[in-house]
Amino acid sequence: MIKLVDVVKVYKTQFYEVYALNGVNIEIKKGEFVAIMGPSGSGKSTLLNMIGCLDKPTKGEVIIDGIETSKLNDKQLTELRRDKIGFIFQQYNLIPTLTALENVELPMIFKGIRKEDRESRAKKLLKLVRIEEVADRKPMELSGGQQQRVAIARALANNPSILLCDEPTGNLDTKSGEAVMKIIKELNEKENVTVVLVTHDLSLSKYADRTIKIRDGVVDVS
Amino acid sequence: MYLELAKRNLERTKVRSALAVVGIVIGVMAIASIGIFGESLKASVLENFKDLANEVIVTPAYSKGYTEIDKNDITKLKKTSYAECVIPVKVDQLIVSYKKSKLYNTIYGMDEKDVERLFDVKDGSIKLKGSCVIGYKIAKDKNLRIGYKIRIGDKEFRIAGILKDAGQRFDINPDFAIFLSTKDFEKISDKGYKMVIVKVGNLENVNLLKEFIDKSINARKQKVNVFELKIIIDRINDVFSKINTFLMAIAAVSLLVAGVSILNIMLMSTIERTKEIGIMRAIGAYRQTILKIFLLEALILGVVGSSIGSILSILGGYVIDMLVLGSAKYVLAPSTALYVAEGFFVGITTAVLSGLYPAWKASKFEPIEALRYE
Ligand SMILES: Nc1ncnc2c1ncn2[C@@H]1O[C@H](COP(=O)(O)OP(=O)(O)OP(=O)(O)O)[C@@H](O)[C@H]1O
Ligand SMILES: [Mg+2]
Repeated sequence: MIKLVDVVKVYKTQFYEVYALNGVNIEIKKGEFVAIMGPSGSGKSTLLNMIGCLDKPTKGEVIIDGIETSKLNDKQLTELRRDKIGFIFQQYNLIPTLTALENVELPMIFKGIRKEDRESRAKKLLKLVRIEEVADRKPMELSGGQQQRVAIARALANNPSILLCDEPTGNLDTKSGEAVMKIIKELNEKENVTVVLVTHDLSLSKYADRTIKIRDGVVDVS
Repeated sequence: MYLELAKRNLERTKVRSALAVVGIVIGVMAIASIGIFGESLKASVLENFKDLANEVIVTPAYSKGYTEIDKNDITKLKKTSYAECVIPVKVDQLIVSYKKSKLYNTIYGMDEKDVERLFDVKDGSIKLKGSCVIGYKIAKDKNLRIGYKIRIGDKEFRIAGILKDAGQRFDINPDFAIFLSTKDFEKISDKGYKMVIVKVGNLENVNLLKEFIDKSINARKQKVNVFELKIIIDRINDVFSKINTFLMAIAAVSLLVAGVSILNIMLMSTIERTKEIGIMRAIGAYRQTILKIFLLEALILGVVGSSIGSILSILGGYVIDMLVLGSAKYVLAPSTALYVAEGFFVGITTAVLSGLYPAWKASKFEPIEALRYE
């Protein structure tokens, strides 16, 4: 399902090189819930961005559903992100000019889905994350927990098979963080969505089937 | 939906968008109203020459040794169907005695009805039987009135009429001239016909008439030259068109400034919205989609600015016409619509062109770098 083969990511700056990932081999099966843990700066986000095709490895291969992503062009990568992957970020990353409902519609707009269809699906998704009552509000008018739920609904818009979450509860209080995690867990169990969760909160590992530890850009097997 | 998105982005920075629109409004208004004014100016100048266009002047071919036009040739001209009226003119420079002084003056020998056709009197009437009609300047200079007598050679003529100021003409300059009947003229001068003024019914006949003259009068030898006043009108047209283009080009500078300001605000906008661009790219927007959204924003600015600008330009044209020409009767010419449309499209084009670079730049952001931008 998701396979990383000898993935190396080097950030070159003017003065030094950072090996954010230094030969990572990971395999994640369909429907698995995997937590990626490690100290700050260990390369967790970098790893997740590789899986999400937001960034390209310096060396190695990222394989999604059997597709070698290094062979795809920008347009194909965009379509892969649009159709197969849902992102949930720590900062929610909603579009401030759009209402909750419109934010959820956006990935479907990019896909070219008809207005009626995408509206009804967006409403359904907001119901699923239990915030249908704030559908017409802009992100500014929502609490952090509500915003993150909108983000989850948006991530699910095009029915992705993979959900990538980078510290989804990082900006939330314990209670709303738990609610968000429950929704994600529910999706994993009921819809068989593969979940990759990046966190350094040890307490979240209880939701995962498996935890991958990462340290200094390599998988920690100890 | 993308249109809606673009619209909201513009609403987010209302003041900035409004200023950009104002820039376009001013630019479009400047171009279109100056265009309208230029056209009005041309129309008002050409109106003075309105009845000149269908006039053709036939003169002897001096360079070939001909100093007069044959009576037979004048008859030929009178017989063609192209000529609406044919006015043969005799001219001489003779000494004229007034009460106290003597002066060389231009004397025209013409038919009474032809003088009537060409000129209007200020005083008296156009009667040439044994009397004369004089230009208004000579009357003023020599303090002449109706009934006074002047002497040319050994003949005396009573002044029957004084002409109105004829302005600038290309055929006959009557202001300093004295008009006699052809018969009287022949008593004091042996000069023949120096000019034939031919008025054609409509402009297409000008060329037909020229062809006719080439084939008949000038068939064997070039006896006469043909000068069509249409050429002058074409020149005036040409010169005014050039002036107008020049003025509009100057006005276009203001639109250029508006374009630069759009470029500026949109570049700012791409930087401010870097993160949003990253988000959209992450959740499945193509580069082209980003390009489209930014171009739509530029297009909206252009359409709104140009619409307002082109409507206001009619008002602008009206005001300039009133101030400079003292009349706005030319504003409602068909050419006005042309300039309004031109301003409209140039305005939109400017806005879109200005948006092109920022939009292209925004579309080139790498998703991950844009996402990380704070
Ligand atoms: N764009 C970049 N340019 C240079 N260095 C970078 C860049 N992005 C990440 N790095 C470096 O790569 C390493 C891994 O970064 P990464 O963001 O993956 O860490 P992380 O595990 O997500 O940390 P955190 O838990 O703090 O989010 C760090 O040393 C970081 O400084
Ligand atoms: Mg991180």
